[in-house]
Amino acid sequence: MNKKSRTRLLVATGVIVVVFVIGVVFLVQRQGAYYSQVSDLTAGKYDDKNVKVGGRVLDGTIARDAGGVHFTIEDLTGKSDTVKVTYAGQMPNTFDAGVDVVVVGKYASADGVITADQLQTKCPSKYKGQASPSAQPGQ
Amino acid sequence: MLGLGTFSLWAALFFALAGAVFLGLGMYWDRKDLLRNGYYAVYAFFLASVVAAAVLLQAFLKGDFSFSYVAENSDASLSVFYRIAGFWAGQQGSFLFWLLLLAIVAVVIALLDLSRLERLTGGAVMVLSIISAVFAALMVFDSGSSPFTRAEAGVQPFGLNPLLLHPAMVLHPPALFIGYVGLAVPFAYAVSTLLLGRGDKLWVQRAQKWGVAGWLFLTLGIGLGAWWAYVVLSFGGYWGWDPVENTSLVPWLTATALLHSFTLYKARGLFKHWALGLAAVTFFFTILATWTTRTGLISSVHAFEKNDLLIDILTTFLVVTVASSIGLIAWRWRRFESHEELQSLLSREFFYYVTNLLLTLFAVAVAFATVGVPLLAAGLSFNLFGVIPISLPGLSVFPDAVGIGAYDVVARPLGVVTVALIAICPLLAWRKTDGAALRHTLILPLVTMGLSAVLWLYLGFQSNILGFIGLLVCGFAFGAVIQFVLHAARRAAGPDKSLWSGMARAFSGSRTRTAAYFVHFGMVLVVAGLLGSNVYKIETSTIVKVKPGATASLNGYTLTYRTMDESTGGAQGSSSSVAYFDVTKDGKALGTLAPHTDVYPMSGAAVRAVILGRPFEDLFVVADEPFDSTSKTIALRTVIFPLIRWVWIGSILLCVGAAVSLWPRGGRKEQKVRVPEANADAGEAAPADGATA
Repeated sequence: MNKKSRTRLLVATGVIVVVFVIGVVFLVQRQGAYYSQVSDLTAGKYDDKNVKVGGRVLDGTIARDAGGVHFTIEDLTGKSDTVKVTYAGQMPNTFDAGVDVVVVGKYASADGVITADQLQTKCPSKYKGQASPSAQPGQ
Repeated sequence: MLGLGTFSLWAALFFALAGAVFLGLGMYWDRKDLLRNGYYAVYAFFLASVVAAAVLLQAFLKGDFSFSYVAENSDASLSVFYRIAGFWAGQQGSFLFWLLLLAIVAVVIALLDLSRLERLTGGAVMVLSIISAVFAALMVFDSGSSPFTRAEAGVQPFGLNPLLLHPAMVLHPPALFIGYVGLAVPFAYAVSTLLLGRGDKLWVQRAQKWGVAGWLFLTLGIGLGAWWAYVVLSFGGYWGWDPVENTSLVPWLTATALLHSFTLYKARGLFKHWALGLAAVTFFFTILATWTTRTGLISSVHAFEKNDLLIDILTTFLVVTVASSIGLIAWRWRRFESHEELQSLLSREFFYYVTNLLLTLFAVAVAFATVGVPLLAAGLSFNLFGVIPISLPGLSVFPDAVGIGAYDVVARPLGVVTVALIAICPLLAWRKTDGAALRHTLILPLVTMGLSAVLWLYLGFQSNILGFIGLLVCGFAFGAVIQFVLHAARRAAGPDKSLWSGMARAFSGSRTRTAAYFVHFGMVLVVAGLLGSNVYKIETSTIVKVKPGATASLNGYTLTYRTMDESTGGAQGSSSSVAYFDVTKDGKALGTLAPHTDVYPMSGAAVRAVILGRPFEDLFVVADEPFDSTSKTIALRTVIFPLIRWVWIGSILLCVGAAVSLWPRGGRKEQKVRVPEANADAGEAAPADGATA
């Protein structure tokens, strides 16, 4: 390879790689969600940030309207803090009161609501059903 | 029977290791007798794997629930089809299936090489034997990974997860595993040729078909998985950038780049380092998928702390793979330098290079976002084999998860760029000729772009300008692929100058080039379908009263509730509540849709979607929550997916293309056709291996 075309190739490669890496870093920063406990949110550590929160769906809080599903989750670390969640997507088939969920979305500190764009019930793996065979005898 | 299964796994482990030792020594000392003995050990390893698999299969067929794995993944009510599917429905059985596939591949390669006994192939089979030994060791030493453990007395069979009761889900896992194992072969040959220091193209000739076959099945597996997610998971989509999906997409991307590198390696002696590196990276990613699932890194949110022998073995295996690949490539770097020069940035070679670079960067970015970011954020802390402490502090600069939006932002433009590369590549050869010829070649793509613009406007796609531009690029590429075929046909036309005979010759001539027509055409359709169904997807959720005449509407479609049915006696003792809706579009009756809720005694209620397929869009209807005859309302989600069928049709074309390049040719003819191609038509022959741009 002659020197000129080698230089050109390196420059072209460098430009593509640098643009790509900057783009990815920017996106990860922007779209990244930090894991937090419900109690961290109520303590004001993640005001108006993207968050990934685990919590247990409180009984009797699930409501539905045109804006999606609304429910309240409580802290998983034994504290009594709760936070409201709004989710407009399709509910996982295993969603219900008392279920542990992980939601990803933006936490609005003003009204204390997470507007979630992802909702997973715990144990989403295809392997291992929703319960082990012995845990659910002939339900 | 459990004992026989476990014993067979021990035997498989022993013979795989014995094979590796004989083959390694045979390759090192160049001793054919040792190679032959190594192959005999591989035959024994194969037999042992077959026995182990047969033991598990008969347990599924007979319903022997003393196997805890069978009890967890099957029950007496399942049909034979789904009983067999239980084999790979869980992780332990998947490992055994993987081992069986490795054994089949190793034994086929060994049989083909028995008359030659070449060092290169001996080395490759050695690598496959080592990989097999790792899988056998997993099952032998980690009781949690063995399919041959005894169920506790009185355990009730759990049955197959009802979500898996679908033909696509029966075929999706084996397709992925066959893909992964096929792609282990290029890695095995790469390691072998590096050990031997052979910079020629023999290893590529030996490994290429396996790589194409692996790519074919990986494509099929990903496509079936997406289709299954669409029709069964009922979440209103087919791809959610879920970690499980991402970890299968990543090796597909690098394998695509690998196949392109193979083409130029063979034709021009270019991209040698790329081919070696991509073979290793692709293999690494196939194992990383399993590692990721097992660590629970993604679904849990804490640093992985458990001591788990499986994780120890897999982690060590990954580290050894990376270290040895980097070490070997660095050691032999100079032997794989290209002799040919890259002349200009406007050459086909350069565009191949850009394709490789983009596919690899995309793969690394997806892997980084899916696995790297959560790993770096959470940190690692465990004792490898209970002895070596491995500790990586969590870094707070990294977020714990990356939103789905980020993937779309990267994937959409990259998809369009890929299609643009597909379009430009065949035109580039003309650029070196005169301008008149170039203008001539541009006519057809511009015409198809114009025609497609009419269609996109008719479908209302001008509402999103970036999507519209992307679809115009697809329209252009469509014409470029046809131009590419016509050009080849004209060139191949016989003395009668008939375009049809030329077409027949062009298609029967070079398998890889014919494959490229199909695959590139399929890829254009897939990208157009992905853009259409993502960018222009419309959805709404309506609460419909359970009362005849209640309606929900979206974009001209009206769904009118008619009645509800209850039925019992479905698969696994399930019962169903079915709601019937009459569908009209702008007043015209289109039929009846019946979204339903299935209730399984063992695993509860699940909503099921129904789809009304129309030429340019699908109407997808599902209840947001389970309902039954006592429900007063149904929360009905309706989604319109434009062009989604193009994704499925395009995916089929991708597989057809790969299958074409695997189809055996008639021996002599091949020589005749290939020789002139390699010289006069090298530019045309080059972009011709089964994959994207």
